Amino acid sequence: MGLFSKLFKEPEIDLEKSNANARKIRALFNHVVEDGDNYRLIFGYTEDVSRFDYGFVHGSKTKIGNLIVGWDEAGLAIAVVPTVPDLSGCGDPIYYRRSGIQKAYRNKYPTDAFIIYPDKNGYIAINAYDWLDDEKLYVYISQKEELVAFTDFFINRFATK
Amino acid sequence: MEMGVFLLVLVAVFIWGNLWFHLVESILGFVRRILTHHKKPTVWHAFPENEETEDD
Repeated sequence: MGLFSKLFKEPEIDLEKSNANARKIRALFNHVVEDGDNYRLIFGYTEDVSRFDYGFVHGSKTKIGNLIVGWDEAGLAIAVVPTVPDLSGCGDPIYYRRSGIQKAYRNKYPTDAFIIYPDKNGYIAINAYDWLDDEKLYVYISQKEELVAFTDFFINRFATK
Repeated sequence: MEMGVFLLVLVAVFIWGNLWFHLVESILGFVRRILTHHKKPTVWHAFPENEETEDD
C-alpha cells in the first residue's frame, strides 16, 4: 500500500447503518404505496422542491428534497415519495406511468439527473448516486446495485427518447 | 495595509451577499405564503414504528 493510498483513503461506508436505512425506506414506501413490494427502491433527491412543500432541508444555498424512488419493472411505472434525511416520515406518493407521461430522459449536463415531464407544465429531476456522504442533507445509504438497475430500467425501458 | 483593505472588502462583499440572499429568500417566502394561503396542507405520514420493531 503506497503513501498516497494511505493519505487519500476513501471513506468507509457503515453498512449496518446503510442496511438499517434501507429497511426504513422500504417500510415507509410500503406504508404509503399500495402493492409497494412490486417496486424496487432507490434513494434519490431533487433540487426542484416546488412540487413538495414539506419534507425538504436546506443546503448552503440550495433546497434539497429527499426522495424514495420506486420503480415497477412490469408496470413501467415510477413512484416518488418525498421524505427527510432521518426517515422520520414521508409524504404522499406521486406516480409517473410511462403510458401517461409526456417525456422522460437521462440528462447529460449539468447533472446526469433522471428527468420526467408528467405534462407540459413541469418536470422533476431525480438525482441518484451510489452513496452520498452528508447525512444532514441526504439519507445515508449505499446503493450501487440499485443504481445500476434503476439506470438500466430508466434508460432502456422508461425513457421516451 | 493594501492587503488589509482588500480583505475588508472581501468580508464586506461576503456579508452583503449573505444579507441579500436572506432578504430575497424571505420576500419570496412571504409571497409564497400569501399565494398558497388557501392551499390544502401537504399530507405527511410519520414513520410506522411497528414495522421498524418487526425488522429489528
